[in-house]
Amino acid sequence: MRDDILRRVVDASAPPPKVVVQGATGRAARMHIRLMRGHGTPIVAGVSPGKSGEDEGLAIFPDCASAVAATGAEASIVMVPPLSVLPAILDALAAGLKLVVTVTEGMPVHDAVHARRAVEKAGAVWIGASTPGLAVPGRIKLGFLPDVALAPGSVAIWSKSGTLSYETGRRLVQRGLGQSAWIGVGGDPVKGARFPDLAPMFRDHAATRAIVIIGEIGGEEEEDLAEALLRKPIGKPVFAILAGSEAPEGVTMGHAGAIVSGGRGTLASKTTALRGAGVRVFDAIGPLVEAVATDLKGQA
Amino acid sequence: MLLLEHDGKTLLAARGLPTPKGVLIAPGEPPPATLPGPGPWIAKSQVATGGRGKAGGVRLCRDRAQLEAACADLATLRIKGHEPRGLRIEAAISGAQEAYLGFSLDAARGQVIVMATDRGGVDVEAAGDDLPRVFADLSAEAIGAAVIRLAEALPANLRRPIREAGVICARAFCEMDALLVEINPLFVFPDGRWIAGDVRFVADESALVRQPEIAALVDEKPQSYPDAAFKKTHGYDLVVVDPEGEIGLVTTGAGLSMKLIDEMTAQGLKPFNFCDIRSGGMRGDSSRLIEALRRIGEGPRMRCVLVNIFAGITDLGLFAEILVNALRASPDMRLPLVVRLAGNGEDRAEVVLRESGLPMMIERDLERAVELCATAGVVQGAAHA
Repeated sequence: MRDDILRRVVDASAPPPKVVVQGATGRAARMHIRLMRGHGTPIVAGVSPGKSGEDEGLAIFPDCASAVAATGAEASIVMVPPLSVLPAILDALAAGLKLVVTVTEGMPVHDAVHARRAVEKAGAVWIGASTPGLAVPGRIKLGFLPDVALAPGSVAIWSKSGTLSYETGRRLVQRGLGQSAWIGVGGDPVKGARFPDLAPMFRDHAATRAIVIIGEIGGEEEEDLAEALLRKPIGKPVFAILAGSEAPEGVTMGHAGAIVSGGRGTLASKTTALRGAGVRVFDAIGPLVEAVATDLKGQA
Repeated sequence: MLLLEHDGKTLLAARGLPTPKGVLIAPGEPPPATLPGPGPWIAKSQVATGGRGKAGGVRLCRDRAQLEAACADLATLRIKGHEPRGLRIEAAISGAQEAYLGFSLDAARGQVIVMATDRGGVDVEAAGDDLPRVFADLSAEAIGAAVIRLAEALPANLRRPIREAGVICARAFCEMDALLVEINPLFVFPDGRWIAGDVRFVADESALVRQPEIAALVDEKPQSYPDAAFKKTHGYDLVVVDPEGEIGLVTTGAGLSMKLIDEMTAQGLKPFNFCDIRSGGMRGDSSRLIEALRRIGEGPRMRCVLVNIFAGITDLGLFAEILVNALRASPDMRLPLVVRLAGNGEDRAEVVLRESGLPMMIERDLERAVELCATAGVVQGAAHA
């Protein structure tokens, strides 16, 4: 993954990239634009097919190309219905945008496969789908990570699950541990950036002193991360909590990607792989929060 | 969503895949008067999980008496915890070689994994990663080309059958938004004819909106696909994980709901269900909550209900109002109720809940809320707020 743009999002020494909002004129999108701006996100334009002009003080363009030409935007946050996500990503890539975050849940898997290939060819980064997005507290927020769980700090959160990361993030904040960056990779089986793709940039990210992985059953993302960490150690403590030890085989647990099938995607496989790569894996949120707190206080 | 074999075969047969003639009967029904062929037959449990053959879910029956016994047996045989949704009776096939053809998706590559081997049958699953495979882009042409490459490494008599099945299945895979298509075994006869002995088809629930044939299966046979039908009708997930469970969960978010079940189970508690109510999509309507409370109320051993919502965006004051409405509309719900609301608007939510005067235990900390569930039903009277 060409992660230059993501590095610029999390690196506090330079201004973050300018952002367009695709699907900006929806009711929910308007609210989230206000919340994202409240976090300092430089939103410069909205995109809404067939529209142009202004919406609540935001310049609206019919496509990304015209928005980019007018504003110099480099990133996009996409808030459109499931079947419109792939066309929106292709529109963003055609306009040269290098970071696309899509929050929508329920994108068809084949669409995600096509999106993944197109993003790769364009040398871009896609975060999503089915994610609350990403944030660097106090600097930028793309998506709808809840303010009650966000605070500046030194813990990086990488998560497949929104709510489990909110609960964990908030308890960490209650212990005085905010985030250096929070990236929701999302709960879909086929997605954009996956856990192992994030490892190189966080190895280099000085503001991050520890990493908390929020994983769950299904797929092989945690196993692939373990392999990446073994190949090249990340040089900071990594903690993980994984959901779904009690999930019955063959049943989709809410997230489209959260399914154990044919003995694959089990919690046991993930736990073994991560522990083998030096990750401290926890069964419950409380002990994980304690361990992170103890560890970081020991470092300080 | 794994389709039942009968449905997978029906869909692919309509697209030109040769399949054995078969009849479908409901669990517990006797075999019909008219059977496919003079016998012997094979009775196959229709169950939404793999490993059916090894678990005894497929029986060879030499005569009608054996078939009747098999139908009765299989009606009650749960396989890996899954209930049988029916039984398919086919004419048994003999004297054929068993090959395998399969397509699935590789999430890291964003490509199709194309697999084919001359060693089909029940041991394919054990072979796993050792199956001969090539990767193809997601198009019928690319998958077809990959099948041709794999076929060249197979014994000469299998090449044409694998290629022909490959063309049909590649088109179906792409056109029907499939996540997995497997033909195992693919029977090849000495005279070169071939037929699909079994079909595994995993459909993408997110693509049902543009796959009317598969959506129709869910609509017409909700008893065969209960979880998908529930989600399609009600717009959220509720899965019973333990029919004997004692604690009902009304929760939002898949990850947190799963973790809650894990943590409760580790503490020796018995959660009844998984639930991702998607509080962000309720729009002031209490019908999802009413339905969830009704489903939970069906649990025979239920002792307590835990409502846990961590809302980032959803206004919890509004959620609390909806919850109060749902409880007032559910007079049969007499179980002790523990409510934990955290996040946006949690203070007003607590006021709304207290002012309702409804009996419930309100707790902001999740771990303490779980502790309350552990004692609810034992000391419920004392704990009511």
